Amino acid sequence: MKFLKKINLNYLIPLTLVLLIVSVAGYFILRIIITYGAKERLLSKEYLVEQQIKNTGEIPNLHPVIEVQKTEIKPDINPSFKKVTIWNEMEKEDEKFIEYSSGINIGSSWYIVKIRQSSFENEDILLILALTLFILLLSAFMISFLSARRMNRTVWSGFERNLHEIENYSLRINKDISLERSDIEEFERLNIAVRDFTSRLKSDYLMLKEFTENASHEIQTPLSVALMNLEEILQHDIKEDVFKKVVTVINSLKRLTKLNQSLILLAKIDNMQFEKDTEISLNEIILRKKEDLSAFIDAKNLDVEIRDEGNFLIRMDVYLSEILIGNLFTNAVDHNITNGIIRVFIKPGFLQICNTGENHALTDKNIFNRFVSGNKKSPGLGLAIVRQICETHNLDVHYVKDELHCFTIRIKT
Amino acid sequence: MKILIIEDEVELLISISNFLTRETFICELAESYAKADDKLAIYEYDIILLDITLPDGNGIELLRSIKKHQKKAGVIIISAKNSLDDKIKGLDLGADDYITKPFYLSELNSRIKAVLRRKQFDGTSILTYNEISVNTESRTVIIKGSAIILTKKEYDLLLFFIINKNRVLTKEAIAEHLWEDSIDMADTYDFIYTHLNNLRKKIRAAGGADYIKTLYGMGYKFTDQ
Repeated sequence: MKFLKKINLNYLIPLTLVLLIVSVAGYFILRIIITYGAKERLLSKEYLVEQQIKNTGEIPNLHPVIEVQKTEIKPDINPSFKKVTIWNEMEKEDEKFIEYSSGINIGSSWYIVKIRQSSFENEDILLILALTLFILLLSAFMISFLSARRMNRTVWSGFERNLHEIENYSLRINKDISLERSDIEEFERLNIAVRDFTSRLKSDYLMLKEFTENASHEIQTPLSVALMNLEEILQHDIKEDVFKKVVTVINSLKRLTKLNQSLILLAKIDNMQFEKDTEISLNEIILRKKEDLSAFIDAKNLDVEIRDEGNFLIRMDVYLSEILIGNLFTNAVDHNITNGIIRVFIKPGFLQICNTGENHALTDKNIFNRFVSGNKKSPGLGLAIVRQICETHNLDVHYVKDELHCFTIRIKT
Repeated sequence: MKILIIEDEVELLISISNFLTRETFICELAESYAKADDKLAIYEYDIILLDITLPDGNGIELLRSIKKHQKKAGVIIISAKNSLDDKIKGLDLGADDYITKPFYLSELNSRIKAVLRRKQFDGTSILTYNEISVNTESRTVIIKGSAIILTKKEYDLLLFFIINKNRVLTKEAIAEHLWEDSIDMADTYDFIYTHLNNLRKKIRAAGGADYIKTLYGMGYKFTDQ
């Protein structure tokens, strides 16, 4: 749920309730006040009627507002208010009145006085007042609702931008996170916290990376010493089992060396230590790699078909471009089956290498991960290197397993 | 043939020097920039092995001074970094070859001999081993007077064997020499076997002896003993 929606729900529900209650209560209170006022007026009119009779002896009669009736005996009426309906001859409809009736005594005579006031007007006023109240409150709510929405756009826009920046931030890109300053205290606190957090992460990351790189380099020298000495042991007249053990150790150390070199390479790509300084045609490299690997292609009797529909040009370091295509092509040959096929499709900005191969459980999600490998002999860094090169050169790389295993590289748009 | 080995890792220095001494080179050792600089000022060398990461100075600088004062010497850079930048820089500055640690001594031997051949210090481009004679300039092989036709890989293999004669070579060392480490495939070793067999057949067909000895299925030795 969006923040605004949450806020709106939180205050719109009680506001609506308040709006209803206030309107209804307002209506009733006004009604009481107006009725009270009407009764007062009726009482004062009765007083006027009484005075007129006293002073002039005239009996005022103004149907239907004032009705006075003279009686000889004391009428059996308690002064009271009641609602009555009287036929209006002019408007041809029933009209509602509040009626005050009482018996008054002037001199020796008794009068029944009925004073009426149309309650219709009162009701009208009441309704108009209540409606006005309702509209007033409603427009107040609308204004606050709309201004909240507009504030959302202005106040939150900085927040949205910062959020976007955080979402797209990568430690691999050697850049500080740049957050927009906010004049809202809470947001600024968040910004400061995020900045501190990322700078801490970054320094840890760099330290780790540096450590990996240094460690990898330092490992090469002792490996060299060990390998040379083992190679020398082989030159002596040694027994078969010792010979085999030494060769096994040499091969293991060699694998360790290759692994180490791959890790150094990954670290270097990560560190952007390669310049994008040469315009390279991947087509040429493909053709050369096919030539380089011809012995392996022939051995598996692979059918290699290259569909060339134009130059795929890209700015890249020469060495890296060799590794990128080399790893992909080697992969297609190495994981192929006897009498299998390799299909290469290349055009500007697009390269696809497909090959037949054994079924395996790897997918686009994990095949490029480090140390994930289809066979046990390879350490599983070749495709990780491919992905790393692609990521740093604005290329998308994907793997799809259909009838063929396909790797697709295309320039990001 | 005089070789100067500049390498700060003493263990490595001794291993290389022991090996090259056995290969009948005269070795001088320098484990620092300063020492190397001293030696370069006094003596002349045929080959200089140069580790470019030295604790007390930059090997690339040393290379500049070598190229100035020891114009005749062949220089092979030894580096712990498999870095193309260093390689290009080194070769641009006049190094003859570049080898990345760790390397097989047989590979180093092969590289040194290749540099020597290019520099023509031997005065000849013909390598002979008993009845086999290899012309490294025309890349032809002659056995008992008649030329045999070898594929590129077979030729490289034969040359590698002759240069490292009497030395045990593992399949891996051969694979690395023939295909470099860019190709790291599971079935590489089957190819060595195929190339080896073809080479053997061609030599035998021309009347040559089979000098390639198999060692416990894991290595080979080119020898007439």
